Amino acid sequence: MHGPRLDGRNSVSLVPATLEHFKQYVPWMLQPEVGRFWGPRFGEMTDERQEERFKKTAEDPTQISWTIAYKEEPVGFTGIFDIDWVRRDGESGIFIGRHDLFGRGIASEAVRLRTDFAWRELRLHRVHNWIALANRGSRRANEKSGYQQMGLYRKSFFRSGEWYDEWLGEAFPHTFPDQG
Amino acid sequence: MALGGTIRGKTTTLRLPTDADLETYNDWMADMRVRRAHRVWNEPAMPATWKERLKATAKEKMDVLWSIDVGGRLVGFATGSFWSPTEPGFTVRQFVIAPDDWRKGFGFDAALALHRYLFDYLDLRRAGVEIRADNVAGLRIADRLGYVEYARGHEVYYRDGAYVDDVQLFMGIDAWRERWGATEREYAPLPADATR
Repeated sequence: MHGPRLDGRNSVSLVPATLEHFKQYVPWMLQPEVGRFWGPRFGEMTDERQEERFKKTAEDPTQISWTIAYKEEPVGFTGIFDIDWVRRDGESGIFIGRHDLFGRGIASEAVRLRTDFAWRELRLHRVHNWIALANRGSRRANEKSGYQQMGLYRKSFFRSGEWYDEWLGEAFPHTFPDQG
Repeated sequence: MALGGTIRGKTTTLRLPTDADLETYNDWMADMRVRRAHRVWNEPAMPATWKERLKATAKEKMDVLWSIDVGGRLVGFATGSFWSPTEPGFTVRQFVIAPDDWRKGFGFDAALALHRYLFDYLDLRRAGVEIRADNVAGLRIADRLGYVEYARGHEVYYRDGAYVDDVQLFMGIDAWRERWGATEREYAPLPADATR
């Protein structure tokens, strides 16, 4: 499913993704500037495949997906995936594709909107995720919305001569900070 | 999933699943003892649906399904997923032993054989598994194999009116070699003159 529009602070919004957004995701994901904590920078990255992914996302009842907009421009995506509606648990993820906008608090606000939606609208019980331990920006963005460490996966991947550990986090409604 | 071939343990054999196994799979998925110990691999369904599932399973590339036999009798099944072309690992997704065959050592024997295949035959670097915190038998098998806990998800599974934690475990090839490398080999060492 594509999530509804959620307007946040500092010109950050979560908006339902369009096919054009999905096509925009491809060049973002292939850049070395965003690849340090991301995937292998190859794959079936064609417009046709993105159309399939877009349709599949729309039809999939186990995920809620959004494009992140900053000042009404798409800058990344986020969502809650593999939702188990009996356990009321899902895995969250976020990707900021515009590396020139890192450090502006966009991810923090996107995570806050997403997490608030998980508790107030979806009535989920728990959301969990994996984040590279060294990706302090993403980890901090999630911690601000109540994610807490539940484990550490040592030597998860190897880049540029170094092992990277992964931080495993989980959040519950009761760990979500009071928004006042 | 792909369908897995023969892996021999001491008492159990992981083997190619067949249509004849599906009715028993269906019975296990409807058994509350199994459902409380594991996630449900597939919900109970009509025989035709199970046949379609097996056919679809055979076409998958990154996942594998095995039936587990003891003396020609079906006693369980195992499924898992290879990680990716750049990550040589395997996650055990389901490891079901028929409730009437619990506490006979079949689970450990089959699990040891499967991991020998993963590390000694396929040369994978890592294996992972998630086990419910109240699945004592599953946790004991994992511990004997050499898995270590790296994370614990709180209140993850819901069954019997309450949540239970999720224990996430990992084993690397070094741990496998240290514990099992001397005794568990798919093949004996090549003779010295084998390549002459």
